[in-house]
Amino acid sequence: MNKDIEIGIEHVTRVEGHGNIVLNVKKGKIEKVQWQISEAPRFFEAMLRGRNYYELRTITSRICGICSIGHSLASLKATEDALNVSISEQTGILRRLAINGENMQSHILHVGYLALPDLLDVKSVFPLVGSKHNDSLLKVVKLHRLSNEMSDLICGRTTHPITLVVGGFSSIPSKKQLLKLKKNLEEGLETVKQLAQVIHSVIDKLPNFKRETEYIGLTSKKEYAFYDGDIASTDTGIFQKYKDYKEIMKEYFVPQSTALHAKHNRDSYMVGALARYNLNSEQLHKEAKNTADLLNLKPICYNPYMNNIAQLVEFVHNIEDSIIQIDKLIKNGIKDEKPADVKIKQGRGVGIIEVPRGILVHDYTLNEKGKCTKANCIIPTNQNHANIQKDMEALVPGILNETKEKIELTLEMLVRAYDPCISCSTHYLNVKFV
Amino acid sequence: MKPRVAFFDFSSCEGCQLQIADLEEEILDLIEIVDVVSFREVMKEHSDEYDIAIVEGSIMRPMDEHRLRKIRSRAKTLIALGACATIGGVNKIRNQWPTEEVIKEVYKDADIKDNEFFNVYPTKAVNEVVPVDYYIHGCPITRDEFKKVITALALGKKPEIPNYPVCVECKKNENVCLFELGKFCLGPITRAGCGAICPSKGSPCDGCRGILSKPDVECVMELLERYDLTYEEMKSRCMMYNTESFNPKDGMTIVRRGRK
Amino acid sequence: MKKTKDIRIITKNEFKNFVNNMIKDEYYNVIGVKEKGIKYVFDSLENADDLRLDYDVTILPPKKYFLPQYEKMMDFNLRESFNVKKDNSIKPMILLGVHPYDIIAIQQTDKLYLDAQKDDFYKKRRDNIIIIGVDIQKISPKSFAGSMKTHVTDFGFDLMITNLEDKYAITIGSEKGRTLLEKHGKTKSADSTDVKKIREIRKKILSQYTRELKVPKEEWSNVLAANYNHPIWEKRSQKCMECSSCTMVCPTCYCYDVVDDVSLDLKEGSRIRTWDGCLIRDFTKIGSGEVFRDDISKRYRHRFYRKGNYLPERYGFVACVGCGRCGTACLPNIADPCDVINDLSHFERSEDTSRFFIKQKSKVDEKGVIHVPRSATIKRAEKLTENEMFFEIELDDHKKLGHKPGQFVEVSIFGVGEAPISVSSGSSSKLSFDLVVRRVGNVTSRLFKMKPGDKIGIRGPFGNGFDVKNFEKKHLLLSSGGLGIAPMRSLIQYVLDPNNRKKYKDITILYGAKQPNALLFLDEVKEWSKVHNVKCEITVDECAESDCWTGCTGLITTLYPKIKLDRYDSENTIAVIIGPPVVYKYIIKCLETLGIQDGNIYVSLERRMKCGVGKCGHCQINGVYVCKEGPVFNYNQIKDLPEAFE
Repeated sequence: MNKDIEIGIEHVTRVEGHGNIVLNVKKGKIEKVQWQISEAPRFFEAMLRGRNYYELRTITSRICGICSIGHSLASLKATEDALNVSISEQTGILRRLAINGENMQSHILHVGYLALPDLLDVKSVFPLVGSKHNDSLLKVVKLHRLSNEMSDLICGRTTHPITLVVGGFSSIPSKKQLLKLKKNLEEGLETVKQLAQVIHSVIDKLPNFKRETEYIGLTSKKEYAFYDGDIASTDTGIFQKYKDYKEIMKEYFVPQSTALHAKHNRDSYMVGALARYNLNSEQLHKEAKNTADLLNLKPICYNPYMNNIAQLVEFVHNIEDSIIQIDKLIKNGIKDEKPADVKIKQGRGVGIIEVPRGILVHDYTLNEKGKCTKANCIIPTNQNHANIQKDMEALVPGILNETKEKIELTLEMLVRAYDPCISCSTHYLNVKFV
Repeated sequence: MKPRVAFFDFSSCEGCQLQIADLEEEILDLIEIVDVVSFREVMKEHSDEYDIAIVEGSIMRPMDEHRLRKIRSRAKTLIALGACATIGGVNKIRNQWPTEEVIKEVYKDADIKDNEFFNVYPTKAVNEVVPVDYYIHGCPITRDEFKKVITALALGKKPEIPNYPVCVECKKNENVCLFELGKFCLGPITRAGCGAICPSKGSPCDGCRGILSKPDVECVMELLERYDLTYEEMKSRCMMYNTESFNPKDGMTIVRRGRK
Repeated sequence: MKKTKDIRIITKNEFKNFVNNMIKDEYYNVIGVKEKGIKYVFDSLENADDLRLDYDVTILPPKKYFLPQYEKMMDFNLRESFNVKKDNSIKPMILLGVHPYDIIAIQQTDKLYLDAQKDDFYKKRRDNIIIIGVDIQKISPKSFAGSMKTHVTDFGFDLMITNLEDKYAITIGSEKGRTLLEKHGKTKSADSTDVKKIREIRKKILSQYTRELKVPKEEWSNVLAANYNHPIWEKRSQKCMECSSCTMVCPTCYCYDVVDDVSLDLKEGSRIRTWDGCLIRDFTKIGSGEVFRDDISKRYRHRFYRKGNYLPERYGFVACVGCGRCGTACLPNIADPCDVINDLSHFERSEDTSRFFIKQKSKVDEKGVIHVPRSATIKRAEKLTENEMFFEIELDDHKKLGHKPGQFVEVSIFGVGEAPISVSSGSSSKLSFDLVVRRVGNVTSRLFKMKPGDKIGIRGPFGNGFDVKNFEKKHLLLSSGGLGIAPMRSLIQYVLDPNNRKKYKDITILYGAKQPNALLFLDEVKEWSKVHNVKCEITVDECAESDCWTGCTGLITTLYPKIKLDRYDSENTIAVIIGPPVVYKYIIKCLETLGIQDGNIYVSLERRMKCGVGKCGHCQINGVYVCKEGPVFNYNQIKDLPEAFE
């Protein structure tokens, strides 16, 4: 046990953004275990400075390529909150479809392309082509395409949506298109159930690691919360003063990271699919619950590696929910609504939403001309960085006896389990423009 | 031998690389004509030997510049992928203000002084650091255009990107012109190639593929008056992706092609 | 006795049934005018209730069905050395609700696309689309069709509907229309009151037009002929955004570009044609990067001249139907022909309306299939210089190309594109023909890499070629600058052919290039000098010591003083010049000094030849198609064309 180990993984692969894992062990003693973020700061606050209220969602969508729909929606919610704009029921349903589409797209991309290779002992998704797992790969591809088609239909484009505007939508899908989507979703439900069986067969490859953690996410009485809800913590319960989110999400700076860390009741907390599952599992739709059972996911689960399983469960839930939402739209009749009118006024608005990686907050202050004077965003991955660090610190002592390659793989898998979106998470701070 | 392709990203949202990952089954066609030797976002393997380097993102720090120069020296062909790489995109918005001011506002009193990670300067597009051979514009890129460029290179020919405005494609789509709906669209001065996707979905073009030409000032003033916009608002819209196309002092500085 | 058209009457209800019956008829796709937001478009009709015959104008004209925005012409397979399949399949279509001005525009397009070199894609569509017109019920604010007399039409439709308030009148325009109406509609004969009502309604339409032309369309040609250099072009084009929206929405604009689309696995692809616009700067750009109509004021002016002077001179109609679409689409509001011609109305007019046009003397042969290349094999490939290569090509169907000296072919490489190359050999007993290629763009660069046995596609021959009959019994003075020697070689080989030599008198061949290593065919020049009464003089602009050049140095103009011509000779000498644009001016001056008249000088000009058959519009020099009336021109005819030697 008196080994020297030096691990420096620069730019972990199969994660979005640039992060490094550093582990220095001398004579069996852990000198340094660090999760570093080296992503260049992008200064999004500077980009929002002085911008008109209708431009904010376009710019903030560029924070991230994978969760651009989520950022747009959080931005719109914050803007509409500041300007007291109410949206129609149809817009609410369409936005839920948008979020479902993004959640599905992000989760299947992550589980299928980024995490599954580890479970099947390959370095990337490319070797799976033509192998005995080719069938599973095709299922992943099919589901990914379904998610993209859904987002394309509702938002105009999956990455950097077009139709999501203040007060509603700039273009609305037709009944014909929605019925076709519904049919594809029903087929997709069967496909993902088959994929779940495949995951079930390799699920033992997931490390069995447990560390008691606080989980934070949105919760709602009406539904498994994504678009609307109150902030909730597995430790402290429901918090309804949404504009005072900083009382829950306390961000702080660390030198090894260009991204902030966050804490609440303990030294760190976790957000994301596992957090949402732990808070709201009762509200999952039927097939999703069945999938959770199949894959041995039970609340409250403290194993961060099960986050990927929770993502697959949410994927199933999103498909079922989307079918329900489309039925609602068809029943009410699809109206060619123009976005709601906006009366420009001064104000502060906060928009909180669940994006694939966790709870996201946009907080804007607008002046009397409708221009942004102050902006703050809390990114899900920021909130996870501290938890990743703490998990690593707890995990490493137990695996020191393994080979260097196995330690590296286990640490990388831990980072991947969180599905971090590192370029989103860099640079967010509270800023006031003069 | 198939050309070896490597993907790199700098300061970006990685949405452009995601479009390529989203090729799904067509990725299989792609790897039939090229060898993908490095694509950090989806695979672990990496090689330092490649013929075509595809670079996404803007350059903000000396350490990024250093990495980019290494990439340029190893590749025969370098393609700038997406608005952040081709023209700076939204990353250049902060160039309107001195970097020290922006850093101070964002990081306040945090101790970042000798931290290499935070040593930023005004955003640069890739061609402001190294020569770029081809550009794939857009925020994000369109998959079709990416396919066109890659097949052109695989066929040994120079890819041709449109040198005309978005209006051409918008009219071919038979869209109701957004100006007629009271919206101000940058389509007439923005490079085409995206199929006019935003105006086709009811959202005015914001110029993410790069401003093509400087419009006549008198004409612009007339339009602004007709659609009840101020010059400042229009400038602000234009500067979303094309910040340094507009010199704050004199307004529009892109030289018009075809004009004496 | 004048045959009056058969007119039927149908009730509004029965009309609905008529439309729904056509929709149900699986043989046809029914396209009708529908709402799109605040505007109207032609689109697939699923129910008669969606039809809006009371529209004012559609965003795009029905030309999109005859000449689609993106039209696949052929599929090619890249796995084989030459495999191409034409695809012009179309399901029969009914166009319902076409306004008279759009019908007239289709008639105009017919003249261009169904000429001696028929475009078979257009023809297939034309034969399979039934046009059901409708008299205008609402006037578009920008339209001036009334002044253009295009607000009504008596022909060009299969059926024409007129709204008689409580019922519709349907005028039968063709047997196809009659059959369709009888099959799906219940009608009865119109009586004289109905006929009278139709006439009144059409008169009433005319009175509703608010915009008026100050110059009747018959005089547009005269106005434009006199005002080519008017400051209005510079002034109005200042505001132009070069967006080419005006050409995109115009029913009489039909220029197109052709691109090759290849699948990602490089196994197959399609050749696609798509709308192009002369307002776009790259419209006239050739492989070397040169743009022939660069200045925006010239492009802006060109559009009006094409509509108001060039096409009227060529076909006899003004290529504008006053629909008002361009006026609506143009943001800076400068595109409206009514405004432009009205602004010019009180300026001079000229009788010399054909000064921008050359009337073709010879009739053009129908070339059969004009779009699909024929398979050909490279028999010989030799590098001549660093950037020029010589090819001997033979068509795979073992037929002669059948070209005249001075003509060109379009060389096609599927997946890469097409390039116009002059034929470099005289027509002879040989089955093969020669091409000299300079590596400038994608196609030529790819050609450079090809070897004997490789296959390419050939379209043509195109162009008018040299009028060798006119050269008989004359002295010939043939001047080539740079790569001009390549097309000139076709003429030289022709006139030096033993079967032809006797027809011509003394022949002088002058050839100049930049440097010694740029000279081509030096061995052949030696052979030419040996022929009876043939003199060759070569010069280079400059040479370095290391070049070992023992011949003349100096610009090609230095060769002319050596030529002595008495008056008889100068009147009986034909001079031909082929070279880069810059040499023409200087050589023509030299020829003047020698006493050679303009009418005896021939030049070969290069432009962007794309289709080769005068349809795509890219090669225009004012009203002249270089691919049809050229590339060989008599200097007398072309010297006054402003765009010829700019």
